[in-house]
Amino acid sequence: MSGDHSGHGHDHGGGDGGHHDANIAARVRELEAQLVAAGQITEAELEAILLEGWSGSPAHGAAIVARAWADPGFRDRLLADGNAAAGELGLEAEGYLLKAVANTADVHNLIVCTLCSCYPTNLLGPSPGWYKSFAYRARAVREPRAVLAEFGVELPDSTQITVWDSTAEARYLVVPARPAGSDGLPEASLAALVTRNGLIGTAVV
Amino acid sequence: MGGQTGFGALPQPGAEPPAGADWEAHVRALTYALMDRGVFGGDEFRDAIERIPPAEYLSLSYFERWFAALEILVREKGLLDGAGG
Amino acid sequence: MARFTVGSEVRARLGDPDGHTRVPRYVRGHCGEIVGLHGDWKLPDAAVRGTLVTEPVYAVRFRAADLWGHGGHDVIVELWESYLEEAAGER
Repeated sequence: MSGDHSGHGHDHGGGDGGHHDANIAARVRELEAQLVAAGQITEAELEAILLEGWSGSPAHGAAIVARAWADPGFRDRLLADGNAAAGELGLEAEGYLLKAVANTADVHNLIVCTLCSCYPTNLLGPSPGWYKSFAYRARAVREPRAVLAEFGVELPDSTQITVWDSTAEARYLVVPARPAGSDGLPEASLAALVTRNGLIGTAVV
Repeated sequence: MGGQTGFGALPQPGAEPPAGADWEAHVRALTYALMDRGVFGGDEFRDAIERIPPAEYLSLSYFERWFAALEILVREKGLLDGAGG
Repeated sequence: MARFTVGSEVRARLGDPDGHTRVPRYVRGHCGEIVGLHGDWKLPDAAVRGTLVTEPVYAVRFRAADLWGHGGHDVIVELWESYLEEAAGER
C-alpha cells in the first residue's frame, strides 16, 4: 500500500500506487489528439502551457524569507499580508491568500494538504513527490514529530508544532527560523540557505 | 485522508525525477488548457478526482489521478461527442 | 458579514454530504477555536453544482489531543462558514 517500491526503478510525481500504467503516455497522447480534433483545445494552447512550464520556483520563497530575515519591517508586512509582501519583490501571488507562518524558538510550522496536495505552485514551482504521497497526507496532521523525524528533524519536546492543512484558498509559506551565524550575510547568501523543505516545514535551515 | 493509519514510511526524497515524466507535463497542460477555456473549474476537477473509485484512487499516482479525472469530465461533459472518434 | 470572530469556539459540522466538500473527515464533529479570518471565497460545495455562493473562510485551530486522543500539536484547518456552528463552552 505504501507504494514505495514499484519495481519500475523510477517514481512518478506521487510515488503511490503499486502498478503504473505502462500505456499512460499513449493514452494521454490519444486523449490530447481527440480533444484537439473535437475543437475543445488547440495545439497552440497546449504548446504555450508546456513551454511556460513552471513559473514558480523555491528560489522565490527563499528570496521572500531572506528579505524577512534581513528587514524586520518586511517581516511584519509579510506576516500581515503575504500577497502584498510578495508583490514588493515583484513576485506574483494572485488568486489565493498567501499566508506566511514564522518558525520561532518555541513554534515550528508544518504544511500539508490532506485532501489533495494543494501547494503554492505558482510561487514555489512543483511540489515534491513526498508532499503528494498518501503517507505524508495521512500522517502529517496526526503524528508530525514522527514525520519530521523521517526528515531528520528532531525538535525539543518544548517546541510547539502547528500543522496547517490547506483545505481552502490559503497557500502557506513557512518562514524558517534564521540560522545562527548568519548575521551580516548579504540577502543573496541568506536566500541560498533557504531550502524548499524549509519552506514547507520539513527542514530546519 | 488526514489521520488515516497504515500508509507507512514516506517515499525517499531522492527518488523523485527532477520535473516529472513528459506525459505528466501533458496531463497538466491538458487540464489547464481546458480550465482556461472554462470547460470546468478547479472545484469540478477536484470533485472528479474524489469520484475516482477508492481502490483505483489508491492505486494511481498523482498525475494518473489527474488523467482519470480528465477522462471522467470528458465523458460527463460530452467533449468528444459528435467528433466521430 | 462574517458570523464568527477570532476567538470564537466553533464545531465543524458532522455529516457526510453527497457531493464535493472541503471539510476533512478528521475534524467533523470536533470543536476548535477561530484563529484567523481568511477572506470570502466561493464555496466549493456549491460551485460543483454550478451555483455561486461566497462565504467567509476561517482558520480554525484544533488540538491534537481532541482529534486523535494524543499528541501535543495543533492542527489549523481552513473552513467555510457553512461548515461551522457555534460551540461556546463545549470544549
